[in-house]
Amino acid sequence: MNALNQMIETETPASTSTRSATASAAPVAQPERRKAPRTWETPPAPVPPAPLDHYRSIVGDADIEELRFLARDLKGKTVKMVNSTAVGGGVAEILNRLIPLLGELEVMTHWDVITGGNDFFEVTKAFHNALHGSPYELTRQAQEVFLMHNEQNRQRMQFNEDVVVIHDPQPAALISSKKETKARWIWRCHIDLSNPNPQVWGFLRPFVEQFDAAIFSSQSFARQLPIPQYLFYPCIDPLSEKNKNLDDSFVQKVCDEFGVDRNRPIVTQVSRFDRLKDPVGVVQAFKMARKYVDCQLVLAGGGASDDPEGAVVLKEVKEVAGDDPDIIILDLPPWCALEINALQRASTLIIQKSIKEGFGLTVTEALWKGKPTIAGAVGGIPNQIIDKLTGALVHSVEGCAYQIRYLLTHSEFADQLGKNGHEHVKENFLITTNIRRWLLLFRILLNSAGR
Amino acid sequence: MAQTMTAPTSAVPQAAAKPFYFNTAAHLLRITRQKANTLSEFLEALREVPEDSIFQHSFRTLQEHHFIRQGFSNDFAQWALSSCKEPGLGEKLSAVDIREFTSISDLRQRFIGIVEGFLQGNPAAGTKVAQETFYFCASDVVVIPTSFVAHTMHEFAEGIRNVSVHSIHHHFIEARLRIKLMSNDFSQWLHEDMGLTATARALNQIDIYIGTLEDVRQQIVRIVERALTEGGD
Repeated sequence: MNALNQMIETETPASTSTRSATASAAPVAQPERRKAPRTWETPPAPVPPAPLDHYRSIVGDADIEELRFLARDLKGKTVKMVNSTAVGGGVAEILNRLIPLLGELEVMTHWDVITGGNDFFEVTKAFHNALHGSPYELTRQAQEVFLMHNEQNRQRMQFNEDVVVIHDPQPAALISSKKETKARWIWRCHIDLSNPNPQVWGFLRPFVEQFDAAIFSSQSFARQLPIPQYLFYPCIDPLSEKNKNLDDSFVQKVCDEFGVDRNRPIVTQVSRFDRLKDPVGVVQAFKMARKYVDCQLVLAGGGASDDPEGAVVLKEVKEVAGDDPDIIILDLPPWCALEINALQRASTLIIQKSIKEGFGLTVTEALWKGKPTIAGAVGGIPNQIIDKLTGALVHSVEGCAYQIRYLLTHSEFADQLGKNGHEHVKENFLITTNIRRWLLLFRILLNSAGR
Repeated sequence: MAQTMTAPTSAVPQAAAKPFYFNTAAHLLRITRQKANTLSEFLEALREVPEDSIFQHSFRTLQEHHFIRQGFSNDFAQWALSSCKEPGLGEKLSAVDIREFTSISDLRQRFIGIVEGFLQGNPAAGTKVAQETFYFCASDVVVIPTSFVAHTMHEFAEGIRNVSVHSIHHHFIEARLRIKLMSNDFSQWLHEDMGLTATARALNQIDIYIGTLEDVRQQIVRIVERALTEGGD
């Protein structure tokens, strides 16, 4: 049973739809809408990743053969990935897909998860926020908790592999084992280090400097370090539920259920109800643009049910939206990937008007679907959107409104942006590209070690 | 040094003197220590960055953006235009044709000369803070063989049709840095091993800046097919 069917059958108080609340005020004929969206009560089991050969039809034979060639010299080599959580969170999601694909290429990759008490994870959570720039006073006690749990894990773990990859700061002090091993050690930093708390970075830096290489998700996250630093962009899986091709009948069904009229232009932003995603600004831009062009706005996101601030933001968005029947606000749980996919595919334009952003994978998803995309020029978005070539970058509500008007009335240009955006993702931001990056890095490091 | 091809019109031989092995290249992006927030900082970094960084932002970036038909030439021009809001400088940097260079050192000097010239005429532009920082990157390269080998023109055409655009870039654009000639691997093979000098020259005259790399591939295919149809140059 797909998520949509489930959503129809189950109704939870977590779900809200401003559109349905305003529908009664609009006597004009509208597509029939459900009274309230439904959601699954529990998340479905994760879908296993597709085998490598399934990507041939997407990236082409040459790319897959390239991967096989790069892996050939690594046959028999072993890799260990270490992070701090087996389920939930972006890193676990990445490893769940990466490791089977590396295994298919006969690069045997083991995954170890460090353990720790609440005290450890409280400290590492504080470190995480501090590395993102939050104020934090690093105490001696916090340092001791961090080091003690790393040491306990270090004593428990073995590092017999050829390459050890440590993800994020939590297990960074495991590097103390390096001198006892033959391995090349890589630190994969998934977080934004562009403006770190100096105390916490000062504490972690001596550990990081002992690695053979570091990997960052953006050029701006890199630090001045005496080791080589590589750039691995975050990526999407084109065969995941969020990104795979869908039958048009399913897309239609989702639109019907959510009351989205596919006969009129659809402008969509997919994101949590978070001020940094500026959903209020999106509504304002939509209202400005709609004075000139007919369109509907879909704000599809989540976070209102499990995050008190998300609920406040959702309320603000509803207030700005007022009783406009063309603004459809959907608070969806995170496992509605197929529905999000369908809404993105149904859209004429996609917006990601973030004020602050990590990499902005929703932009990657939009571009992959060939959608003309308008996005804030923040975080990793300019890596994806080359202004006027693969999308449109904006810096204000007014700029966003203008781009909506322009792209809705210049379909040939909009289509070209969409096509370029798709190719840009295919070239740089797919999981197969990241597999290639990993294989290249393993080869480079192992060769430099004289193997 | 420029290569001259003046051999007379030739027929397509049955087999090449030496086969053509189609390779491709995979690149891994490395982040260097240099970055620039102003054009003055940019100029200073241009003088200091390693050669593989100049390569990355000129030759390599053209490959990364191979799908863009017009309006993209290199990262330096793009930054001058979109982040520094200096369209005049952007146009000058954009007009640098990497195929005029067989050494990165000369290419670097061309970029430096353009930025220096611009800042001499517009000194205030040197300290204006750009909207986005320019981060100088570099790339580590691994050359990868493909399964395509050409002993004949038919096999050559088949290879061109089927290899990835990265292979086309490797042999057709990047090659001049390797062979140190104002030519490319395809033209060299056609000239030296097939004796098809006019076809080799026609390939070398394809404009890589007015289409996608896929368009370039199609133009190469058309020129090679014409030679096959006509039985020679």
